[in-house]
Amino acid sequence: MESGSLAARLGGAHWRLWALVPVLALVGAVSIFAATSNSLLDLVGQSPPPSDKLDIRRVEFHSGEIRIKVTNPQRDDLTIATVTVDDAVVPYRLEGDRTLGRLRSAEIVVPYDWVDGDPIKVGVTSSRGVETSKEVAAAFETPSASGRGFLGYGVIGFLVGILPVALGLAWLPSLRRASPQWLAAFMALTAGLLTFLALEALSEAIDLQAALPGGIGGTGLVLLGAASTYLLLTLLSRRFAQGGVVGGVALATLVAIGIGLHNLGEGLAIGTSFALGELALGTFFVVGFMVHNVTEGLGIATPIAERGRVGLGRLAALALIAGAPAIPGAWIGGFVTSDVLGVLFFAGAAGAALEVVVEVGRYVARQAPGGLSSSYVLGGYLAGIAVMYLTGLLI
Amino acid sequence: MAKHLTRKQVLAGALPVVAAAPLAKLAWPSTARGERSATHLGHAHMHTGHAAMIGAEVPAPGGPHAQDEVLLPPPPLPHEPGRVSEHWLTAIDRTIEVAQGVHFDAWTYNGTAPGPIIRATEDDLLRVHFTNAGSHPHTIHFHGIHPGKMDGVFETVLPGGSFTYEFPARPYGMHLYHCHATPLKKHIHKGLYGAFIIDPPKPRPRARELVMVMNGYDTDGDGENNFYTVNGRAFYYAKYPIRVRRGELVRVYLANLTEFDLINSLHLHGEFFRYYPTGSTDHFEYTDTVMLCQGERGILEIEFHNTGTFMFHAHQSEFAELGWMGFFDVRD
Repeated sequence: MESGSLAARLGGAHWRLWALVPVLALVGAVSIFAATSNSLLDLVGQSPPPSDKLDIRRVEFHSGEIRIKVTNPQRDDLTIATVTVDDAVVPYRLEGDRTLGRLRSAEIVVPYDWVDGDPIKVGVTSSRGVETSKEVAAAFETPSASGRGFLGYGVIGFLVGILPVALGLAWLPSLRRASPQWLAAFMALTAGLLTFLALEALSEAIDLQAALPGGIGGTGLVLLGAASTYLLLTLLSRRFAQGGVVGGVALATLVAIGIGLHNLGEGLAIGTSFALGELALGTFFVVGFMVHNVTEGLGIATPIAERGRVGLGRLAALALIAGAPAIPGAWIGGFVTSDVLGVLFFAGAAGAALEVVVEVGRYVARQAPGGLSSSYVLGGYLAGIAVMYLTGLLI
Repeated sequence: MAKHLTRKQVLAGALPVVAAAPLAKLAWPSTARGERSATHLGHAHMHTGHAAMIGAEVPAPGGPHAQDEVLLPPPPLPHEPGRVSEHWLTAIDRTIEVAQGVHFDAWTYNGTAPGPIIRATEDDLLRVHFTNAGSHPHTIHFHGIHPGKMDGVFETVLPGGSFTYEFPARPYGMHLYHCHATPLKKHIHKGLYGAFIIDPPKPRPRARELVMVMNGYDTDGDGENNFYTVNGRAFYYAKYPIRVRRGELVRVYLANLTEFDLINSLHLHGEFFRYYPTGSTDHFEYTDTVMLCQGERGILEIEFHNTGTFMFHAHQSEFAELGWMGFFDVRD
């Protein structure tokens, strides 16, 4: 090759320096364009004016006031001019700058006698007259980051995360007695429920990113989240692998991690919706989540059932890996709320769950009587999806 | 699976589901209810100031006399048939501050929306010199009685062009003028309109005279008004109440040029007034609230019985809270 001979002539050190040439050339090209861009853009026409749409990230209701967190998602500066609540101009106080640079945030504090439980609409109008509004389904006191709220979200996380997974793990003794065909069916069921969770998380991530302002690049964020957890788990499973296939407790750990990431997203979603008044958290809702998530414990128990004994400590650890992330998820969602984090969490959960589906599939293909195409495996896989769907209807 | 299971195994298998329900009930509801009732307690003690915004805290653009040109009409002239009443109007594209910090790319007559007050006496010969310094074709369409070729519909004035409207001023009353170029909705909501007063041959009683043109601004182009004002600036007379004396005759020339939401209204607090629709006859109504469609106008005559601060506003609450409200400051 010609480049090869060039490399030989330049020698090792020079060749590395040569790698800088494209970078320097790019810097040069960019500066020339920046210096002349106006005359260049004149050739193709005028740029449209900035959209001036703000990103209203969070609306909080406190005693006698509404707090609105806004971010400027566009390249151009954006100046906050007036604020409306339910289509009425209101006096307000600004915490932060009035003129926001790209991705800069401010908090608008409006003294307001809001009505508990009523829908409410807040609007922010820019200096160019463009109004961005956000409707809140029901106004009610936003829980503050008190020890009490912390405990509350912790309990919710425990109830929808750790507890059902631990209960599901209690199926282990029954599973141990099952025949190889039935075990394969349960492994396939695990794969089915993970597939369900992956798709659910992915769709949630895509929904959330669609609501993000264009400047943040939602689809890239979804791919980034999903790919990184997928690759991370691939790396982990290679570590765990004995003789090419991951099985037993190692596979159970992978399943637990996949489910754990999903529960992190789930906790975040619950915390956020609750804090923003979009969700009526009731006994029925929590029970629904518990029944839904009991199946996840079954998914973790199945790989263990086939191989060797495990101590209670190990089981507890698995339950924590899979269930505990719901607690920090609920905290983050309840007190911080960031749609960007939400997208990342859900995309990450989708990537992890998919990877574990692949691992379980490999395992079943190698170990199960009749391989992937046995009727037990096919039936189990479909049953996994069906169980998740049906228990999901409870929520 | 069932036939392989012993009874003990079935029980163990059912355990997770059976245990779930009572556990959930025990741990959850108490915390949730506790947080919500705390909400109501805190709520009752909140303080949000006046029932209405007034004075320095009001978010209104402009200084104390910024609207005088469109509020205070020139004095009336005695009846003198054939006298030439000359006016110069220029259409100008201009960015104006319509609410605090909100800048609107308006089309104006002489730089303001509403445009200047044109006043003549019945039987004057009106001569309005119109120059289009804007970037779109415009006209001036006057309400009143005039020849067809002076109607501001067919004689479109292109950017850089000019036209002189000439016709006898009649009938007396409160009228208005606006651009009639198409698309009409755009040319009106951009700000091309103003008050046009023709005084009767027999002068009206001396009074403190005010002009109020009700309008709206769609600042983000979605076909709905973001702000409503009287004379062009949201909340202006809430920040700078109009000072009048008790017992003096206050005459308000009122017109509605609101686009999109066409019906507007004026309600005066604590007082009644005589309302002369269009002001071209002696017919009046004694009321405290009037409703006008786009293009409707009339004359209000008020004598305040009491001193104090009296609100006036659109009796569409939404319009009022988006800028169309103000106060009379009545003193001895």
